[in-house]
Amino acid sequence: MSEARSRLDPEPLPRRDALGLFARWSAFATSIFATLGLLKLVKPGVLPSPSKRFRVTLPESLAPGEPFVVPGRPVVLVRDAAGVCAVSRVCTHLGCIVQPNASGFECPCHGSRFAADGSVLKGPAPKPLRWLALSSLGGGTFVIDESASVAPGTKVKG
Amino acid sequence: MTSPALSRLAENLRAAPRRLRDTMLRSGKPDSDRTRSAFVFGNVFLHLHPARVHRWSLRPAATMGLGIITLAAFLVATVTGILLMVYYKPYPESAYTSIKDIHFVVPTGRFIRNAHRWSANLMVVGVLLHMARVFYTAAYRAPREFNWVIGMLLMAVTLGLSFTGYLLPWDQLAYWAVTIGANIAQSPREVTDSLGITRWFDPGGLQKELLLGSDQVGAEALIRFYLLHIMVLPLALVLLLAVHFWRVRKDGGIARPADADQRLGPVSAHPLFTQPQQKTWSLAALVKGRTPVVGKGPENTLPSMPHLLYAEGAALMLAAFASVGLAVLADAPLKELANPAVPENPAKAPWYFLGLQELVSYSAFMGGIGIPTIVILGLGLIPFLDREKEGTGLWFGGPGGARLVGTSAAFGLAAVVGIELVAIRFGWIREWWPGAPQLLITAINPGTVLAAAYGLFSAWLVRRHQSTRAGALGLFTCFAVGFVVLTIVGVHFRGPNWQFYWSHSDWPLH
Amino acid sequence: MRFYKHLLLWSSLGTLAVLGWAAFAENVLSDWRRAQTEARSRLPAAEAADFTVELRQIVIPELGITDRCTSCHLGMAPGERGVAGDKLLAPHPPVVHDPGSFGCTTCHAGQGRATAAADAHGNVEHWPEPMLPRKYLYASCGACHTHLAVPNMALLEQGRAALERNDCLACHRVDGRGGTARPGGAGGLEGLDLSRAGARGVRADWLEHHRRQHAAATDGPWRSAFGELGADDRQAIEAFLSSRVGAPGLVEAKALFHSLGCRGCHAVGGVGGADGPDLTRVAQKGPNERSFAGVRGEHTMANWFKEHFRAPARVTPGSLMPELRLTEEQIDELTFYLFSLRRTAVPDAFHPRDRVRAEKLGEREFAVDGATLFGTFCAACHGPDGQGMRYPGLPPFPAIASPDFLELASDELISETVKRGRTGRRMPGWGEQEGGLRPAEIEAVVRHVRLLGGGVQPVSDGRPRRWARGDALEGGRIYGAQCASCHGAHGQGAEGPMLANAVLLRTASDSYLAGTIARGRRGTSMAGFATPAPARPALSGGEIESVVTYLRTWEKSQ
Repeated sequence: MSEARSRLDPEPLPRRDALGLFARWSAFATSIFATLGLLKLVKPGVLPSPSKRFRVTLPESLAPGEPFVVPGRPVVLVRDAAGVCAVSRVCTHLGCIVQPNASGFECPCHGSRFAADGSVLKGPAPKPLRWLALSSLGGGTFVIDESASVAPGTKVKG
Repeated sequence: MTSPALSRLAENLRAAPRRLRDTMLRSGKPDSDRTRSAFVFGNVFLHLHPARVHRWSLRPAATMGLGIITLAAFLVATVTGILLMVYYKPYPESAYTSIKDIHFVVPTGRFIRNAHRWSANLMVVGVLLHMARVFYTAAYRAPREFNWVIGMLLMAVTLGLSFTGYLLPWDQLAYWAVTIGANIAQSPREVTDSLGITRWFDPGGLQKELLLGSDQVGAEALIRFYLLHIMVLPLALVLLLAVHFWRVRKDGGIARPADADQRLGPVSAHPLFTQPQQKTWSLAALVKGRTPVVGKGPENTLPSMPHLLYAEGAALMLAAFASVGLAVLADAPLKELANPAVPENPAKAPWYFLGLQELVSYSAFMGGIGIPTIVILGLGLIPFLDREKEGTGLWFGGPGGARLVGTSAAFGLAAVVGIELVAIRFGWIREWWPGAPQLLITAINPGTVLAAAYGLFSAWLVRRHQSTRAGALGLFTCFAVGFVVLTIVGVHFRGPNWQFYWSHSDWPLH
Repeated sequence: MRFYKHLLLWSSLGTLAVLGWAAFAENVLSDWRRAQTEARSRLPAAEAADFTVELRQIVIPELGITDRCTSCHLGMAPGERGVAGDKLLAPHPPVVHDPGSFGCTTCHAGQGRATAAADAHGNVEHWPEPMLPRKYLYASCGACHTHLAVPNMALLEQGRAALERNDCLACHRVDGRGGTARPGGAGGLEGLDLSRAGARGVRADWLEHHRRQHAAATDGPWRSAFGELGADDRQAIEAFLSSRVGAPGLVEAKALFHSLGCRGCHAVGGVGGADGPDLTRVAQKGPNERSFAGVRGEHTMANWFKEHFRAPARVTPGSLMPELRLTEEQIDELTFYLFSLRRTAVPDAFHPRDRVRAEKLGEREFAVDGATLFGTFCAACHGPDGQGMRYPGLPPFPAIASPDFLELASDELISETVKRGRTGRRMPGWGEQEGGLRPAEIEAVVRHVRLLGGGVQPVSDGRPRRWARGDALEGGRIYGAQCASCHGAHGQGAEGPMLANAVLLRTASDSYLAGTIARGRRGTSMAGFATPAPARPALSGGEIESVVTYLRTWEKSQ
């Protein structure tokens, strides 16, 4: 202990404080690990919405070419001689639901217009409406998968 | 050819990271007392700490870190609570299922919910132990009287937070516990009904209606409890904590005995002051002149950075460890969905209220309002009644000391076990005299008898030791033991219809 | 300070370890993750590459269903083809109701929101609806299909026997039996699959249609395998087919319920007695709401029900339900039926036809022919053949199909007794108050009772209703000596029926009373007092008249 020193002077280099070092770093590591781990909570483990696959039975009275709006889903089914197709009613611009009209579909949000086969007639929609994967269960019942797209023009007999 | 201005610009850009670090951490490497003081003093998160702290306060036995542990539990509860709010839905039709979802599908949800529950319990336990520590070290004495009162308010808010959170899962446990709690809030009616004045003066009914927003526990109660739990009470708590910590600083830090320096022995830290002090370490010194260092020596303080920060860090991490450890070991309870048509039997309040519920089973008013009021008044008066000086800062300090505390504990235990034995074995007044007026039972019941016994014992102690502190030591110890025993009875020995059973396996199935 | 450094270090490491363990347990050890990684290893390579390990669930907001069963039972998700025979990848067996439209817990019960196996299967504390055992699975039809109209066992058996006897199963498949597979036949079968004929409906002219086909055919099964059908057989077959809804076990169990007279004491769906608890939603109470103190064996609802059938008073202390001495098979079937008594609250749009017809149009869920009605409401007390019942510890129940009784009792007496009951006694009133029967139904019961007695019609002796003018005092003396020991000193009834009963005295004619006293009732303790016996002389007509007069005095005092 040096008499001449004051407490305002830096301490002489102490022997390495391994314990303190480990303690601090482990506390720090734990805090980081905890923070990162806790942040995992915010991303949902499972989306709470109903399944994207659903069944629908077409009414027998449906005229060929007449769009059948599936109740409760943004999908329209059209049956004609070639078969049945499912077209998504989600506008490719910003996601509003388009309504069928005389020549196809129109979107109430920004005025996009689509033809009956989903192709864009008037923007701002950048892409045509999606055609959805469809499979037949027989007897006019079909399974539609909203999460799966197929090439436009694909029809399924059933 | 680069102009001087451009090369200066480039140089500044290169130096930017180092400069960023330097401007962030301006006090420099904390390796001398000045730089260490500046580290604490100049940091927005740390400057509530004193720059230097007395060696006595740093001893584990001085405070056992209980205040910090309680704070840490609150912080864990807050963080986990905010995360839970992302998924919890405070409406009767979705609350229960949202908790189930948190348990089963939310990533880390089960862990976080458990941690929340355990840290909340830890906070309640911590607050009670901290209060006991402050009492037993007589740290409520001048100048710390008001901080003791703030501490009592903090305890009340802590219990309020725990109770409001209890309802949120909306399961059978929650629903009926709150039904009981609300009826305890209504218990002044026991008195106003016997006096026949309920029609004009009904504080009981008012309390219950304010709590529940209705006459029954339902959607209104859930929203009110949710609001209290996530917003009102946490804000109140933070406000009170700010005052509480500020007061600790203003009052000169942790209470210590007048001869603390002698008790501590020589300093081994580097180095002693060789020059008289020209500066003080606290702003308050200018006004009050009461700092650790001004005009005094030998030096018995240590820099907060790193000593106090290590101590606090350790306490924080210990509390965190306890919370997460318990979280992986035991799930927070969740019973069936709340069903107003099917009462839980027994319907038990949260554990910290079970001692009161035990007393409520004898008299609703005394257990719900009477005894709690006595306790609150008693606790609140302690610093104003005990203005002695002997023993401040020492465990069980004061006339009588640890021996007195031991004796009081024994007396308290005997009294509470005795009165419980009588009440359980023989019943109480109504069983012996069915026509007894309710006011008689309100006045004379196990709760009041116990309180009277403790009070008389305490008065006897005051006379014997000629000291208020001795009486206070005795009274506090008796009530503490009484609280513990009644809580144990409520938790373990009460079954359906609040009958006494030696063990859970003896309960008749409904 | 070393102390604090150590404390900080070890607490930190401890916390880190705990957090690491928690992360590991959740991301590697959870049931559903392990199930999915295991299942992925069994998928063909192309599908395995596409397969993501993630939670899967069926969500049906209208029914409040969020079923995560498909996180482990991967093959059963809607739209999945699955891998047959695999424990986790197997597709759902073909059933009427698509799990994608109704969820899993609607039929299987259990805790749909759970993702740990034990919690999901529901056999845990604090979950009131554990999964139904596989053999009782069709009981959950009763959650929505609350009012399937079902006759009693005898009629069901008759229909089944008629179906088999007339060789209908040569072409038609019913409940997995019968039918000849032939290419080109409807659904691969020669004749229609009739397992759900009751749900779809049977055309009214089915027999005429068969006859036409038979007449028009020149060869093949229509020519050779079809024969003529009697009217009785036709009726029985039609009744049987209308009960075919694809849940044969449940229908049989319900038929058994409608043969043992359980509704005599227990109301279901608002119709039935009030002596025992209402059973309409008996399956909604889970094992944690029931006392298992007197139950031997495991603490499941199935076992509770069975033990209750074996010894009601042991399982429910204070229960008045007698031990019915049922066979284990019957107990099993009745347990099956009880599991169907769930009547879950579902949105109106999900109410099936039978429920709508019953709740809105007032149709019954039991067949309304006399035999079924008797079997449903009367058989437990009066015996399946109306011969009366004697349960240990209980006073006997009267034999109402006794020919002696039926000869003397008018239809009015029987139907009034049924309608009003016997006040103060165990026979409740079955009139059209809550839980009662309609007048047409009561008439059907009366007719059936007569049938049970051998078709005995009442014989009138031409006298007016009240003709007794004997000596009441004398009658009282005789009554005290001869009758009081069985019928009670004041006619309040003991071993014998209560005679001082308002309903009896109002509906019974003097001839009925006198005739019963004179003839007695064979097969019961009531002797014929007109004939002498070793212990007493015969009563003369005048003495009997006096007794009747005495009995009538009780009428005025009521």
